[in-house]
Amino acid sequence: MKKFSKAQEEMMGFVLIVVIIAIFILIFVAFMISRPEKQAVESFEAESFVQSLLQYTTDCRDNLEFLSIESLINKCQKKEKCLDERDTCNVLEKNIKEIISKSWDIQNSPIKGYSLAILSNKQELLKVQEGNSTSNSIGAVQSFVRSGIPTEINFEVFYYRRDD
Amino acid sequence: MKKAQLKIQQMAFMLIAITLLFALAGMFVLVFMFSGLKESATALNERNALLLVSRLANSPEFSCGESFGMLKLNCVDEDKAIILKQNSNDYKNFWGVAGIEIQKIYPENNIECNLGNYPNCGLITIYSEKNKGVSSSNFISLCRKTSSENGIYDKCEIAKLIVFPRSEQ
Repeated sequence: MKKFSKAQEEMMGFVLIVVIIAIFILIFVAFMISRPEKQAVESFEAESFVQSLLQYTTDCRDNLEFLSIESLINKCQKKEKCLDERDTCNVLEKNIKEIISKSWDIQNSPIKGYSLAILSNKQELLKVQEGNSTSNSIGAVQSFVRSGIPTEINFEVFYYRRDD
Repeated sequence: MKKAQLKIQQMAFMLIAITLLFALAGMFVLVFMFSGLKESATALNERNALLLVSRLANSPEFSCGESFGMLKLNCVDEDKAIILKQNSNDYKNFWGVAGIEIQKIYPENNIECNLGNYPNCGLITIYSEKNKGVSSSNFISLCRKTSSENGIYDKCEIAKLIVFPRSEQ
């Protein structure tokens, strides 16, 4: 009887130590999970940029109005031309390249590169890429449907040692 | 050594071992907590600053509302901004910030706007106090009504709304 009770005590002690260690591991994991806050903050900036980009009014017009980037994407999907016979896809690419290069400076900043891809019906319509890709990035995804065509914009900015 | 003494010694060793375990684990948690504290504070400040910029851009004094088609987020009415600049003294304490600027990003233009050169300019300083701190900014659409040979149309450009929070905030 005495032997049995001692064995029980030993087992209880072991279980207690395992529980304490498990609690500490849980606390550690909880801290690890709560870390990517900064990523979310900076992605908000990328999301705002994509929203503003889509609303930008280009110099390409149809019979009614000057087209926004969003409308231009739709015209490019349908292989339509501007009123002055310019190709809408060329105008779209030129505008997007210029806007991104002015908005995200990769020369004198921690930004090392960026990439923007427009997917139409999951097929790549346009891709603009500059600089280098790194594992440290922020990004935004914007989806919309226009004239029944689902479109997705994936924008990613790559930073060099953002945590410094 | 008596059996009782052996038991006491065993207990003492066990207590020391458990205390050491707690101390080490506690130190580990504290070091981890404090290493992330500065980063969390910075992230929180950045988030608050970005939220402040977003709140300003979507406030009735700046926002496009439904003037340019459907309701747009992060869209600032350029005509409202230039009029606000003229009446900035009335609004200095309204937003509780040290300065508000709108800088056109594309097309790039650094000429300060006034009623004489508007809209052929690129920087609208709504107001600016002398002691401005570190600014925070976010991308916005800067829209206005303009005209061509075919009539009036909506023109939206890409700009940054730059806000200088007051240091006591």
